[in-house]
Amino acid sequence: MKSYKYIIMSALAAFTLSATAQDFDTDPTLNIDNKEKQVKFTVGARFMADAAYYHTDFTPLQSGASITDARIRTSMSYGENWYFYADFGFGGGKFSQKNIFLQYATKDANDGVHAIKVGYYNDPAGSMARQTSLGSYHFISRAGMSNAIGAGRALGVTYKYSTNNLFLYQGVFTENQYNKIEAGFNGATLAGRWLYRSVGDDANWHAGVSARWAHLGGGETVTTKGSSVLKKTFSMGQSLETYVDEDEQFLSCDLPWANNVTDLGAEALYHNDNFFVRAEYKHRIVTKKRDSYKIFIASQDNIDGWGGIEWWENANKLKTNHFNGAYVEAGYKIFGNPYKYDKHNAVLGGLDGKALEVVARFNYTALNNKTEGEYFNAGRGHYYAAGWMEDWPGTGATSVGGGDVYSTTLGVNYSFNKYAQVMLNYTWHKLEKDFLPYDKNFHQVQARVQFTF
Amino acid sequence: MIKNYLSIGAIGLIAAAAMTSCSDEQQFVDYNAQAHKVDVQVLPADLAKVRDYVPLYAVIAHRGSTYWTPEETEASWRWARDMGADYLESDLQATKDGVVLSLHDDNLKRTTNIQSVFSDQVPDIRRAFYRSLTYEDGTPCNFSEADINEQYNNDLGNYYSYYPRNYYYAELLMLDAGAWFNEDNLEQARASFASTNNPLQETLDAWRADKNAQVVYTNGQYISALADQIAYAEGKKLNRDAQGRRILPYHVKNSLKGKTLVEICSAAPSTEVEGTTWTAQARYMDFLVYDFSNAYVADDKDSGNRPGIYIEFKESWAQPKDMEARVYKELDKWGWNIITKPEANNQFYKDGKVNVGNTNGKVILQSFSFDATNRAYQVFKGRVPFCYLLWTDYPGDYATDIKYDTPTGVAAFIKTMQDHGCHIIGPAISGAPNNYPEMNCPWQAYMVRRAGMINHPYSFDSQAQITKYMGYWNYGLDTEFDDLMKVTIKKTPYSVFPGESQTWPIYMDGCFTNHTEMNLQYMIDNGMRCNANLPNPFHPGQNFDNSQAPSTVPNAVELLNQLGY
Repeated sequence: MKSYKYIIMSALAAFTLSATAQDFDTDPTLNIDNKEKQVKFTVGARFMADAAYYHTDFTPLQSGASITDARIRTSMSYGENWYFYADFGFGGGKFSQKNIFLQYATKDANDGVHAIKVGYYNDPAGSMARQTSLGSYHFISRAGMSNAIGAGRALGVTYKYSTNNLFLYQGVFTENQYNKIEAGFNGATLAGRWLYRSVGDDANWHAGVSARWAHLGGGETVTTKGSSVLKKTFSMGQSLETYVDEDEQFLSCDLPWANNVTDLGAEALYHNDNFFVRAEYKHRIVTKKRDSYKIFIASQDNIDGWGGIEWWENANKLKTNHFNGAYVEAGYKIFGNPYKYDKHNAVLGGLDGKALEVVARFNYTALNNKTEGEYFNAGRGHYYAAGWMEDWPGTGATSVGGGDVYSTTLGVNYSFNKYAQVMLNYTWHKLEKDFLPYDKNFHQVQARVQFTF
Repeated sequence: MIKNYLSIGAIGLIAAAAMTSCSDEQQFVDYNAQAHKVDVQVLPADLAKVRDYVPLYAVIAHRGSTYWTPEETEASWRWARDMGADYLESDLQATKDGVVLSLHDDNLKRTTNIQSVFSDQVPDIRRAFYRSLTYEDGTPCNFSEADINEQYNNDLGNYYSYYPRNYYYAELLMLDAGAWFNEDNLEQARASFASTNNPLQETLDAWRADKNAQVVYTNGQYISALADQIAYAEGKKLNRDAQGRRILPYHVKNSLKGKTLVEICSAAPSTEVEGTTWTAQARYMDFLVYDFSNAYVADDKDSGNRPGIYIEFKESWAQPKDMEARVYKELDKWGWNIITKPEANNQFYKDGKVNVGNTNGKVILQSFSFDATNRAYQVFKGRVPFCYLLWTDYPGDYATDIKYDTPTGVAAFIKTMQDHGCHIIGPAISGAPNNYPEMNCPWQAYMVRRAGMINHPYSFDSQAQITKYMGYWNYGLDTEFDDLMKVTIKKTPYSVFPGESQTWPIYMDGCFTNHTEMNLQYMIDNGMRCNANLPNPFHPGQNFDNSQAPSTVPNAVELLNQLGY
């Protein structure tokens, strides 16, 4: 009877973990399993160090090495339904909040898993790439567009239903997990990822869409001559798919007076034992809102008046912005254990055990959202609606020159065992950014050592 | 074995991480290197031809002089002309009746006594002024009181505190433009700079005697018209009456007979240049004619120098929208428009005198304003030398600043300005007393030279600045800019340096100075002036000859005495 009980408990524990563990990309080695109390406690850690050499046309990047990630990870499961996970990062010599959540999961009569999750973790619509733990990723960094246009962790609650054919994951999140906003209120986000899939033993695929709508609530108080307005600014950007120099100046933009952010995405993934391919597209729409009249009135305090609000608004136009990006990644395993599909999170698993693979990726990120006919001068850093530089008043321009990049990566990854892995990537970025007209080509070679237990 | 390699690799990475900085703040950017790498648009041939209208190492008398005299007045420009400056520099603005002024500030408070004469309002005398007006044929206008009152209300509605556009030129000639200088510069003060009469009271007295009498002007230094500046450059001075007041009668145009003031005001004036009509705002009223026929006389103290003029279009929003076209016409009127009246003589110096004012380089236009530069390009089409002036206030962001004063930013400005007919770049320089931002580092001067443009930094106030940009920045040591910036100058009969020649970097091709005397003397002493064999940086292998320039520099104080101040 006793041994029978252990078998059941082990099975429950295995179910609980497998149903939740996006977070431990390898089974943690250190387990404390109290079967009497139906509690299992795990502790793990992860370390990544990167070295990179950059060659640029103009603006230098800082070649060198960096501790990319240093993390302690813990989890606890209770019974067959409850799971708690937390991990904490120390990369860069600073503490950072990573995932921390509680999940209740149950299985229905049709083998469908219902899971409710509360805490701080990745937004379902953030992107397939960002749903995948970096420790399980097949490149040194995620595709650039997933950082520029995708979303990361947020505080919220989600409901997920998954079967071998369906993956329906949706929830609601806050804008800031600590409610640390200078002014306004904590905004809200609705997000979902919906996939149709075929999960089998040897080959798996999925295809689907995602959507995310965020209302920005927090911003800064801008006071002009005693009159205050709430100014909400949305920022987006990415590094050049590297962690050694995470400079985002090449691809980034700030969008003052942002109000709502809508992301629409599509994704597909296929793998068999020795080959994987996955692709993702995202489109972001940022709408604006401003109390123009209040600002206009506040500016009417001297003889340099504007004349009328129509004139003021014409010189300070607002435009809904559109950005997009996509990537396709593929890999071929030369030897080692078969590629795995993490069906509970609908992502590709990492290398497991001794393995060697070659990988390739093409990514494009489009953060330029220009208005036809506008002129840009790099000495001013401004666009001009008139097609040439003008004096006062404002330029009336609506272009955003965050930068467009086309990035091609080739890589090879070698896994010594389930714990240790080395990676080598070469990436060529082709940049188009008006503010940096001489920065066209970036070549980088990166290497990583990672250790996970 | 693999385990050992892994350990060594991991330790190596960690060690490298510990020694490698990754913060953005420490990112290393080498402007000197970038100045060589960026694409710099080279001045096209048609603009290069106009560029060569300008003499090398030109000394530009900034506002005449802000140090020795009240700026942009008869005193300052007579002094600068006789001192031997190549150009008399000024700033252009317009009065309510469309007279083009040579005046720096956008308002009249600092350099006149307007607050005492007119207070901060439309002049009280304005109604009486309208009543006094006569047509060119001498007949009184006799505008109705209702018309005068309505126009006065228009004037109130358009009033803009102390801006010259509120005032008729005749009203501005009642202001003392010299007394403020004496109050602010005790060491350089001269009683003769200030007026001795009371024009306001005298005007009121005149109207009591005759309602159609003309406004009585001050008898000191005046807010200048562009026409005045040109006259001084031509060796003239103001024609004054026995009481020292300039002679400049004014009348309403005969062609406006029958029109009310309000009708005149509601018709926006316009200026036509080469088939294009430029229209000013309706608040400008070009209804007065000033009779300049007797406004000037030959200056008995004229040195014989004939400098050019270097005139600046100011902030576009404070000027009539046809300002550039007005200036085109004004230059035409006085025979200084080289488009309509090109000069055959291109000898910058002649018989020991400055002769720039008799060459195609007689007028240089300048501006900080994008709008003014754009409009000037449409009017002058790059056929008159034009200098775009650079300023930065980073992280501040004034509308016309070069916000990113980097090789990329400078290259972008150079291209834009060439595309708008500019031949010259005018960067700010550092140093007391103004302590402007440094915008003429060697890499910046090098980029301007790469572009084939002239470099005219502003403003020089000290010997330290002159030596810095004309030879001493690197103490003659080799730099990465020597290929274009280092110059070997042979000695002249007037140079004072030892040996047959000296080689040093020169980071300017001319300068705006408040100390004409200082710049001229330095250039003469160091062979940059009065030299028949100066290397021409724009035409390698060719020489620039300024051997006929004046070889002596008058004493600044004695010259003021001689001029009667």
